[in-house]
Amino acid sequence: MKPLTTFSDVYAALRRKNRGQYGLLAGCCFFSVLLITAYACMMRAPTILTILPEGGDSRKQVMMVFVLAVIGCAVFTTYAAGLFFRQKAHETGVLLALGAARGQLTRELGKELTVIAVLSCAAGAALGAPLAWGIWQLFRIFLVDSQEMPLAFDWQSYLLALAFAGYVAAMLFVTAARFIRRTNIIDIVQQAHRSEPIREVKRWYGPVGIGLAVTGAAAGYLMPSFFVRVLHWYAPGAITAVFYLPALVGLYMILLHTVVNGWGIHKKRYKNIIATSMMKFQGRQTVRNMLVMALLIGGAYFASFYAPMLSTSAEVSFAARPVDFAYHWRADQTLPDQAEVQALADQYDVHITSWAQQKAAVFGADGMRSIETETALGATYTTEYAQILDGATFFSESAYNALTGQQIDLAPGFCANVLDDEGGSDYLSGGDVTHLTNMTTGMALDVTPAEPLCYTMLLGCYVLDDADYALLSAGLDDIYRETYVFFNVADVQASYPFADALFDRIVDCSSPAVAVGDYYDDVAAALAAQAGQTYEFSPEEAAARGLGTIDYADRDTSGFRNYWKYMPQFRILDQNDFVTTMAVFLMLFLFIALICFAAVVVIAFTRCMTIALVNAQVYDDLRHLGASNRYLSGAVRGQISRVFLVPAVAGTGLIWLFYLLIMYCNSTPYGFTPSELAGLGACAAMVAGGSAALYLVYRITRARVCRALGISPVRRSGCSAQSGVSARRAYR
Amino acid sequence: MLNVKDLHKSYRTGKATYEVLKGVSLAVREGEFVAVMGPSGSGKTTLLNCISCYIPADSGSITLGGEEIARLDEQALAKVRNQKLGFVFQDFLLLDGLTVRENILLPRIIAGQMTDESDADSLCDVFGIAAIKHKYPAEISGGEKQRTAVARALINRPLLILADEPTGNLDSKSSRAVIDSFAQARDSLGATIFMVTHDSFAASFCDRVVILRDGVVWRTLTNDQPSRGAFQDLLLDAIRSMSAE
Repeated sequence: MKPLTTFSDVYAALRRKNRGQYGLLAGCCFFSVLLITAYACMMRAPTILTILPEGGDSRKQVMMVFVLAVIGCAVFTTYAAGLFFRQKAHETGVLLALGAARGQLTRELGKELTVIAVLSCAAGAALGAPLAWGIWQLFRIFLVDSQEMPLAFDWQSYLLALAFAGYVAAMLFVTAARFIRRTNIIDIVQQAHRSEPIREVKRWYGPVGIGLAVTGAAAGYLMPSFFVRVLHWYAPGAITAVFYLPALVGLYMILLHTVVNGWGIHKKRYKNIIATSMMKFQGRQTVRNMLVMALLIGGAYFASFYAPMLSTSAEVSFAARPVDFAYHWRADQTLPDQAEVQALADQYDVHITSWAQQKAAVFGADGMRSIETETALGATYTTEYAQILDGATFFSESAYNALTGQQIDLAPGFCANVLDDEGGSDYLSGGDVTHLTNMTTGMALDVTPAEPLCYTMLLGCYVLDDADYALLSAGLDDIYRETYVFFNVADVQASYPFADALFDRIVDCSSPAVAVGDYYDDVAAALAAQAGQTYEFSPEEAAARGLGTIDYADRDTSGFRNYWKYMPQFRILDQNDFVTTMAVFLMLFLFIALICFAAVVVIAFTRCMTIALVNAQVYDDLRHLGASNRYLSGAVRGQISRVFLVPAVAGTGLIWLFYLLIMYCNSTPYGFTPSELAGLGACAAMVAGGSAALYLVYRITRARVCRALGISPVRRSGCSAQSGVSARRAYR
Repeated sequence: MLNVKDLHKSYRTGKATYEVLKGVSLAVREGEFVAVMGPSGSGKTTLLNCISCYIPADSGSITLGGEEIARLDEQALAKVRNQKLGFVFQDFLLLDGLTVRENILLPRIIAGQMTDESDADSLCDVFGIAAIKHKYPAEISGGEKQRTAVARALINRPLLILADEPTGNLDSKSSRAVIDSFAQARDSLGATIFMVTHDSFAASFCDRVVILRDGVVWRTLTNDQPSRGAFQDLLLDAIRSMSAE
């Protein structure tokens, strides 16, 4: 053995002895940087950015969970650093007591931390992108692949990874500096043995915490709508986010109450006294870790709900469509007519059982224009009436009846808005209109809103009395005329090849003039042209605003199928291609859920192992006091289960309630639509799966903790215990 | 060697201030083995921590080898702890990752004076721990750990050894071995030792015993008795009389 001659040699010897502590710190830093890098790479990947519209909810959700993951990993690494220095306190105190200068310690510690920070952060940052790529490739191989799935990374994502790695390194050095600066040697020596008891927590913390959590979630979700609808104010995100704070405080109070007081009946107090007392004296760090875990579990479920909710509700909605095939085109286009479609159907051996083809017209409709004013605190808006606000599609009542099979009879001068059959999509409709304009002739017609009609395939359209329609549509230019076709087939499940071919035919027949997104409005474009202004949703402007462009070559992409204004609605095509079309969305959120769950598992495992090792002496003392292996195992279970169970219940419960709130408020009028209920059912299955996975990790962790403490797995008959000290040595 | 004059130290807990040392003055001569005794809360450990400069005193002076150490800066204090003081703690405070021999050499390594390692071997021989010098602290007994700590305290030939309840965690046999080590250090190496203890048996080996009570020196007893047992009886009588007051 090489003799120790320098202070560095001493440090190296101590490092060899305590390599587990160094490994834990380096592992935590590595893992945090790895996860954040992987997430950042994915979030900033052009593949993803192309799919997620700028300013859209999906991109905001991805960013929100990213922030959550960053906070979680930051708290986690800070905790790991705190634990490292706590364990290092003893030897540092001894060295100081024996006359080591703080400069000596700072130099040695600095060298160690530099190595840990550089290696772990570099390895995490370097492997983050391959990890993201690997997971994505696994998705492509085993789950779904599409034209949009090939993954490319943007170097800018590494700036985010670098920023986080910088935080980790800075945090390590700042914590070290604070640690070394402490002057009281006695305190430092005793630090490793000091617990972190939480001050008294009143029993009302639990119920008040629940109240705050629920109130905060509701306020955070509802206040932005309140601002917009009542105060006419688009508040900045930072202000609306403040309303979620009570939820965070509430969650913290719930966890505090759970750790310190528990929810059980007082009669059982002595049954769990060891676990409860030890948890209580693990104090603040445990509660912070549990809070982070609860938030990450919430984030993971929030992300994982995306796929089942979207696919289930889409499936329900596809199945509920009253017709198998629907498409429409502008009158200046030449699209397949009945004969051509019939010929194609014959070619694919598809039997068309019904065919309805009717004309529609696009009129200028009145409404309230929103005029926004930018202020230092977001934008405010006022509204003013506009006789021609935008365009809307209108049917005559006989055309509507022929298409839908309904028998409505509108009185002259009345106009009915069409809503969906399921309800809950009123916000997609233009609402009542009272003044209509023929954009070619300039002729106007005042109408009175009639009772809304229901037909999902024509959601957002309007119906006029036949005579009114004929009067107003006279002389209308072809670009304001449309043709709608609805038809059914005998065996829809066998009609996919036909549907695919017809879709291709429709796209091939469409001219570049109609390669526009569903946000494009011919009437608004004409108004802008008349005013000599640039239309904000023209293809060029839309591309500049990050809304994406419609390109017939990309007909199988989600951007095209979700946003092309004349996208056909073919039940079998939508059903079969849904997962492929939405692959990037679905896999992105699955990826996010995986990252969040991985973080939860690592945090929980690390926390449980440290709880076990910090309390090892207590378990030895209990063993010496005659505690059976069964009792010790029960105490371990009491501690470990809290670390897993409490955040799991809190995080899952809160996100579930939040999701229910979103679904409830998402519909107009408020309530749950059948597709939402089906989606929630699928989400419940997802929660069951996630909880089962967490339970499995919990069991593995418990077994590892028992092994570290020398406690044999409990069988019904009890079991023998080996010496805790020797077992810990073996573990180390 | 050591002169403590009018030392005051108080602690604040919330709004309350507790004065632990209320003007302690004492002196230790070179080669003397002095014990400090007193009931819990009398200020023994606080006095030791002030002399070690682990905690700052509120007022008063502490002179070691003619140098006022209570007002030294951090760098100078580290040097004093390393070169002029040796420490023996109740919890031994050995480093688990180093062998017995390496623990003994630690103050010298910290000083950057690792030119001669033979002193460590000599100390191991003196204190009867040569056979275990390549073992780690986890592999040796409490008594052996404390003798290792005594050897460590002596490796830099300090002016003064400060010992805080060195027998507090030991059985009687190990305690005796540790006290013998101190006596041996004084007799063969000329060490000056200042020991805080509750143990009248350990204190009975000392040349002088300072008894603290409520933060002041209550009485000083000099070992001029014919035997160790007689001095221990004297100590016990003094403690009894203090309790009776």
